[in-house]
Amino acid sequence: MGAAVLFAAAWLAAPPVLAQDAAQWLARVAQAARTLNYTGTVVYQSGPRVETFRLAHLNEGGQEWEKLLSLDGPAREIVRSGGEVRYYFPDAKIVRIEPRTFRNVFPSLSAEQIKNLAQYYAFRIVAGERIAGHTADIVVFEPKDGLRYGHKFWSDAATGLLLKARLLNEKGEVVEQFAFTDVAVNAKIDKDMVKPSWVPVPPDWQVKQGGGGEVVLNDTGWAVGKLPPGFAKIMEGFRTLRGKPNPVAHIVYSDGLVAVSVFVEPLTVTQTQVGLTQAGGLNVFSTRNDAFLVTVLGEAPPATVRQIAQSVSRK
Amino acid sequence: MNENISRLMDGELDDAELERCCNELKAEGAMQAWVCYHVIGDHLRGANGLSPGFAARFAAALAAEPTVLSPARRSHRPAAPATFAWAVAATLAAVSVVGWTAFSMVEVPPTAVAKAREATSVRAAQVKPPGGVPADYLIAHQEYSPATVIQGGGSYVRAVANTGVEPRP
Repeated sequence: MGAAVLFAAAWLAAPPVLAQDAAQWLARVAQAARTLNYTGTVVYQSGPRVETFRLAHLNEGGQEWEKLLSLDGPAREIVRSGGEVRYYFPDAKIVRIEPRTFRNVFPSLSAEQIKNLAQYYAFRIVAGERIAGHTADIVVFEPKDGLRYGHKFWSDAATGLLLKARLLNEKGEVVEQFAFTDVAVNAKIDKDMVKPSWVPVPPDWQVKQGGGGEVVLNDTGWAVGKLPPGFAKIMEGFRTLRGKPNPVAHIVYSDGLVAVSVFVEPLTVTQTQVGLTQAGGLNVFSTRNDAFLVTVLGEAPPATVRQIAQSVSRK
Repeated sequence: MNENISRLMDGELDDAELERCCNELKAEGAMQAWVCYHVIGDHLRGANGLSPGFAARFAAALAAEPTVLSPARRSHRPAAPATFAWAVAATLAAVSVVGWTAFSMVEVPPTAVAKAREATSVRAAQVKPPGGVPADYLIAHQEYSPATVIQGGGSYVRAVANTGVEPRP
């Protein structure tokens, strides 16, 4: 409610935007992130914590390379190339290799999803703020209920690249923010700029091959009793995760802008941690359900993931 | 007790609990836990803290100082046992291996945790990586989340950000 008031005050002058326009804006931003060549410094802010990363992205002949390097705190480096993401932790001498299947949901938002977006968020597009030296369009997704965060995005007016993104809670407070402080769009990106710093992986490092491959689409037998309105199931199946003897049920619900994942797996003695974990705009709620551990994770407020987790039951 | 010290440092105690906890701090070993948590906290905040044995050396140096004006001495606190410094080191090792992310991107080797556990009075829940949410979950989720598509490379930040989420025992 508070957020609604703040938003209304700030964007009183901006006319509401049609759902179709919002969907088009999302598609443009998603496309720009994938196809453009850019490099810059990203500041990530979550609560009182601020971290800085260097990001470089290269698309060459439809192939993507991307490198994210932490500039403060413990050294961390993430390199994405082809269908793979490598997480390097040089202090621990560990590299984690994950397959990455890219799914661009936006060009294919269904008419129903677009309708849902418009039903649960109000959009406004405001022109003309400068971010990292670029003229940005500001797009606001203002939630109409307390079950989702407010989103404010700044995209480069010229190219559509997302320059800044902010999540707001119902009080209008910033939950999390990503922002380029400097960025060169359509820059000449050298292959070296997107290559891992540790090639080949030094012999004294541990290589952790992650991922259990594709989801096997199936009815998992689990359902959410109190799904917040506007969320629709977009995937249901079983995954085999590394180190887990049993397949894990995975169901994803989305309101068109964010997603919430439900994971259910048999409880083992080592999994005793239940309750809420917050990581910036991501909230995770774990709870026991008989002999199962239910974990709900998504870019939604704590109350939303808790409500979903506590209403998971056998069909 | 240790939990209350931890909560005290986080500013989570109400007045009555605060009073009780301050009294409990006078108990045997309580100051060790207090110091231990502050050392952990300092490291997590990136303050590199003091070298091992600093407190003992400082106490010795202070004792060797000529006393100009001596206020009433409080009851003598015994020097921390030798295992203490190692216990802190082991605990920090476990933490630094984790990288202190909300998602257990790098699992703590069980031996490191076991060592930290046996070496210190800090309870297991407090040396565990916060949340302990499997990174596999996050990665599986991101594959489907529209937020990943909007933010591109920025979405990976969450997986490795130093969120400093405190575990709740």
